[in-house]
Amino acid sequence: MKDRQAIVVKNTRVADEIWSMTLRFDDLDEIKGAQFLDIKLPDRSKILRRPFCICDFDAAEKTVEVCYAVVGGGTKVLTEAKEGDKLNVLLPLGNGYSPKGKKIMLIGGGMGAAVLPAVVTANPDKEFYAYIGFANAGKVVLEKQLADNCTNVTVATDDGSYGKKGFVTTVAREAYDAIQPDEIFVCGPEVMYRAIKKTFEGVKTPVYVSLEQRMGCGIGACLVCNCKVKRADGEGYVRVCKDGPVFLLDEVVL
Amino acid sequence: MSNLKVNIAGVEFKNPVITASGTFGFGKEYGEFYPLSALGGICTKGLTLKKREGNPPPRVAETYGGMLNSVGLQNPGIEHYLAEDDKRLAKEDVVVIANIAGSTLEDYIAIAERINDSHADMVELNISCPNVKQGGMAFGVLPKNVEEVTRAVKNVCRKPVITKLSPNVSCIADNARAAESGGADAVSLINTLSGMAVNYRTRRPVLANNNGGLSGPCVKPVALKMVWECYNAVKIPIIGLGGITCYTDVLEFMICGARAVQVGTANFSDPTAAYDIAKDLEKYVEENDVDINDLVGTLILN
Ligand SMILES: Cc1cc2nc3c(=O)[nH]c(=O)nc-3n(C[C@H](O)[C@H](O)[C@H](O)COP(=O)(O)OP(=O)(O)OC[C@H]3O[C@@H](n4cnc5c(N)ncnc54)[C@H](O)[C@@H]3O)c2cc1C
Ligand SMILES: Cc1cc2nc3c(=O)[nH]c(=O)nc-3n(C[C@H](O)[C@H](O)[C@H](O)COP(=O)(O)O)c2cc1C
Ligand code: FES
Repeated sequence: MKDRQAIVVKNTRVADEIWSMTLRFDDLDEIKGAQFLDIKLPDRSKILRRPFCICDFDAAEKTVEVCYAVVGGGTKVLTEAKEGDKLNVLLPLGNGYSPKGKKIMLIGGGMGAAVLPAVVTANPDKEFYAYIGFANAGKVVLEKQLADNCTNVTVATDDGSYGKKGFVTTVAREAYDAIQPDEIFVCGPEVMYRAIKKTFEGVKTPVYVSLEQRMGCGIGACLVCNCKVKRADGEGYVRVCKDGPVFLLDEVVL
Repeated sequence: MSNLKVNIAGVEFKNPVITASGTFGFGKEYGEFYPLSALGGICTKGLTLKKREGNPPPRVAETYGGMLNSVGLQNPGIEHYLAEDDKRLAKEDVVVIANIAGSTLEDYIAIAERINDSHADMVELNISCPNVKQGGMAFGVLPKNVEEVTRAVKNVCRKPVITKLSPNVSCIADNARAAESGGADAVSLINTLSGMAVNYRTRRPVLANNNGGLSGPCVKPVALKMVWECYNAVKIPIIGLGGITCYTDVLEFMICGARAVQVGTANFSDPTAAYDIAKDLEKYVEENDVDINDLVGTLILN
């Protein structure tokens, strides 16, 4: 984990209100899947860094890709970054996800899909089956990128305007019996984790989820990013930035 | 001759830069970015007698040039600190200030007694917490309560005591005087300003706790004025904080009367903020051949 200066190599709109930014570093630590980075914004009135998943990376090129939705002032400022601009970036942060099993089912909802390519890139010896869901055709991203290295990629849209119609959690559940994965990794909004708890009830395969929380320091010192988990020693708060963002779904108190 | 050392209540700091309570954990995380020995001191997260879970999330909201937090004093408790962090910090060549908090006067006394057994060099009293026996009004609001809690801790504590003043009061200089009368060896100010962030779409406050404490660059003008007011009210040394992000901010605080400073929210924008500020100050005193102590309270009013 280091605060490094990155050079913006690319920053373009890739779908409705969704942008992709590629950053190049002089030096890059080893990256695990589902880790994140924290970008210092050029606008000094916005004093907190913005956390984003490491969407994908190229260890040889020392580049990292971030796929982000424009939702507020900070992400708006990011869209203004031009090729050649410099940004301060803390990375890699968080525990990440390193699958132990061989066959992995990946489920991504909306911008949650942005975490999946790096999981695939960081684990070239595994077999991935990716299920990504979006609101409509205009929001679909990362399908091709995932297709390169996954055994299968299925896209679902809520309104059926692209791929299968319906919630990605349901689509993934329907495919589950045929695939029999060793692990399931999910990233998306909290409603999706509730849905997974229901649709995958009774399924013994471990389900890992990546959580989001508003952050201060991003490195584990300020305790503002907490979420509640239930473990053998009882219920308590853990830090999403340092103890997470990846947790076993069974542990997370939703 | 250039000098960056400062002395507060007999404790020597190699430079006036201290990290602020609650923004720096127990030094472990930031210690991965730079050696803590580069700092004058560090303040621990607020410690309570028993472990505290704190408030539900979200606990942070960014505001223009600042942020609100409602962590709610989450901490592992004093015993955990003594067992896990105290010895590690004792090995660091840096002044360690244990920040303590309580819900009753008895809490403060009990925790101050436990701190006697630690390696901490000083104790900082966070008196911005609600006093459960007085309907939840913070200990730090009325001067008589400030004096009472400071005296109670001074009676049992063998380490120098810093009373950390809340800005959410009618006259902070009166509270500084009250702390001095209670026997405080120093005062630090300011703690966070009470505030709220609102989402117009949901018509709800952003923080789950509704209210939070404002910190960051936006509070600096308030803090500077309060430091100056306290400097004119008491003889004990003042530690100034609130919105410091660079070495010139430190110089401004010292000119207003601070003998040392604390860096809080700036650590979030830049994990090496406190380190960079200490290095820049060193360069400043060398290039200008000044003793940093000579700046203290040299404000010239118009
Ligand atoms: C570990 C992690 C990984 C993330 N990965 C991605 C990603 O790959 N792609 C993507 O588009 N978004 C991702 N997010 C969400 C992203 O951080 C927010 O959308 C972004 O911070 C919004 O900033 P803003 O200034 O545009 O919005 P504003 O709403 O104006 O931001 C105000 C404040 O709230 C915080 N905030 C707002 N929404 C969120 C949120 N959902 N999570 C955490 N903090 C938030 C901001 O950081 C800022 O401090 C991730 C969040 C976390 C915690
Ligand atoms: C996340 C956070 C947690 C804090 N926790 C404490 C605490 O436990 N005890 C305390 O005395 N002050 C606490 N503070 C207040 C700071 O120590 C400091 O007084 C305040 O933030 C102003 O300084 P700054 O603008 O440099 O951050 C906290 C501040 C923040 C931002
Ligand atoms: S953001 Fe500071 S502890 Fe997680």
